[in-house]
Amino acid sequence: MIEVKSISKEFISPKKYPGLKGAVKGLFSTEKVKKLAVDDISFSIADGEIVGYIGSNGAGKSTTIKMMTGILRPTRGECLIDGINPATDRMANAARIGVVFGQRTQLWWDLPLSESYTILKEIYNVSDEDYKKQLAFLNETLGLEEFFDKTVRTLSLGQRMRADLGAALIHNPKVLYLDEPTIGLDLVVKDKIREAIHEINQKYKTTVILTTHDIEDIEKLCSRIIVIDKGRKIYDGTLADLKETYGTTRKISIKTEDFPGIGKVRAALSSSLNNGNKEPVGDNELELNFNPDESRLEISFDKNHVEVSDVISSLIRIITVKDIKIQETELASIVKDIYNHNLGANGPEGGGR
Amino acid sequence: MKRIKRYLRLYRVLVSQFIKTIMQSKVDFFIGLLGFFMTQAAGIAFLYLVFEQIPDLHGWSFSQLLFIYGFAQIPRGIDHLFTDNIWLVAWWMVIDGDFDRYLLRPMNLFFQVISEKLQPDALGELLVGTILICVSASNGILTIDAVHILLFLVSVIAGAFIYTSIKLFFSTIAFWVKSSGPFLQVAYNMAEFAKYPTEIYGKAIRFLITWVIPFGFVAYLPAGYFIGQHSALSTIGVECVIAVVFFVIAYRFFIYGSKCYESAGN
Repeated sequence: MIEVKSISKEFISPKKYPGLKGAVKGLFSTEKVKKLAVDDISFSIADGEIVGYIGSNGAGKSTTIKMMTGILRPTRGECLIDGINPATDRMANAARIGVVFGQRTQLWWDLPLSESYTILKEIYNVSDEDYKKQLAFLNETLGLEEFFDKTVRTLSLGQRMRADLGAALIHNPKVLYLDEPTIGLDLVVKDKIREAIHEINQKYKTTVILTTHDIEDIEKLCSRIIVIDKGRKIYDGTLADLKETYGTTRKISIKTEDFPGIGKVRAALSSSLNNGNKEPVGDNELELNFNPDESRLEISFDKNHVEVSDVISSLIRIITVKDIKIQETELASIVKDIYNHNLGANGPEGGGR
Repeated sequence: MKRIKRYLRLYRVLVSQFIKTIMQSKVDFFIGLLGFFMTQAAGIAFLYLVFEQIPDLHGWSFSQLLFIYGFAQIPRGIDHLFTDNIWLVAWWMVIDGDFDRYLLRPMNLFFQVISEKLQPDALGELLVGTILICVSASNGILTIDAVHILLFLVSVIAGAFIYTSIKLFFSTIAFWVKSSGPFLQVAYNMAEFAKYPTEIYGKAIRFLITWVIPFGFVAYLPAGYFIGQHSALSTIGVECVIAVVFFVIAYRFFIYGSKCYESAGN
């Protein structure tokens, strides 16, 4: 059980001034700039959950993870990881967690991978028997054998990431923190890493907290996501709910012949939709685009305001439909919108601000 | 007790991985060692030239000066051999965010810093120090008996602790200023003063190397005991007290600093 109780992290740095003159001025100035990287964030995570922690660059993701893992101490508030506060009891916490930072390795660069694992076995005080069992499991899920005797320096990025993930799991941690575990990897390796994370979570009920920019990581792994922006939590809930709340735009794409022109279609569509409708559909609620090269018409609208079936039945009467495709909003664009602050203020969490 | 045993075992594991690493690049290792012997040889040549010109200094004979010079090398060499990695904390680890990985492991932080590396270059200092002390011993200026040998070992270890404390203290500043290499460099250069009797310096420097950066205690003060000028208590005793006090201060400061560590953004 992880409890994060209104943690904040403030970084204080000397004020910088522009230009050479500014640099000299900065040297003698005692002015400080406070930056609130994480602003009063709270959440709790149950054992065995896989939680995606997402946000744009500089949103405060890594800072939160660093506070939870004991690297940074919160300026205010506290985290309790199974009752242990990493800020005051760093070592006890460190013994029970595994951490992978995608951009950094915790392996010994100049040694064969097998040596790194032996050292970690000693560091985490893993018994011979447990080590053997865990190594067999890791071999199976991550396919470490093929490069187990190679020097870490010579591993490809994909191999190194598998090796790093394995290294974080040797002591079978209760909580696994993954900071961008699939960054820079090809699709095959990404899948392999995701499968491994899933399997570990299933087998040991390991709690997994991962930050990522890869939407597929979230779709394939996370039952729950927390979105933060500018240091504040703006969404916390299931992926399905997020899609339900934000992903309400539908796009209908129609291949047609004898296209009469956007203006005509819009007029006909509006009158057809508003026929007997108590709440008339405004022109700006329908977005129409026509691609003459493919002779394809695209219509976007909010499914909570306009029924998909109404639009289709209306269109069939207006134009000749040769092919039709209905797309729902991709998570990627929902997240993009949240990052761009289009949605954040109306979100369930953000509303209370 | 169990904890000490565990740390000793870990030390063996970590240091042997380091040795394996440097053995993988044998050439680097030997070039490093060779370079260091050259530096030391140049140092001795310089010393010889200096003492050719100045046969005695403030009442110190040449052989006594040689002893202090050599005696200063040994604690320095021990410190250099075992705790050289502290320099990296001062220069890079804080500013690069590399210190993260120490905080993620269930081991004492200071232990992790020093167990990551041995500095074979230090063998040069130890060798030169030993040679100069043997030369002094053959000159008959030293009292040699069981007590003196025992206290010699105590003094050398205390001296090494003083070196380590100073390094640790000035590296710790990096937690606030990100890179404290230049500060550490200046402080560590003060160690040059330890090679000669403190009396030859002006008041300000004498005060500095006695009470602020206590390099005066690593060689000059204890040397007074071995050449029979002062009692053990007023030399080795004081040195040990200084070593303990400074180490406790530096260690506490380091632990406090690690709590102010800000890592690095990605």
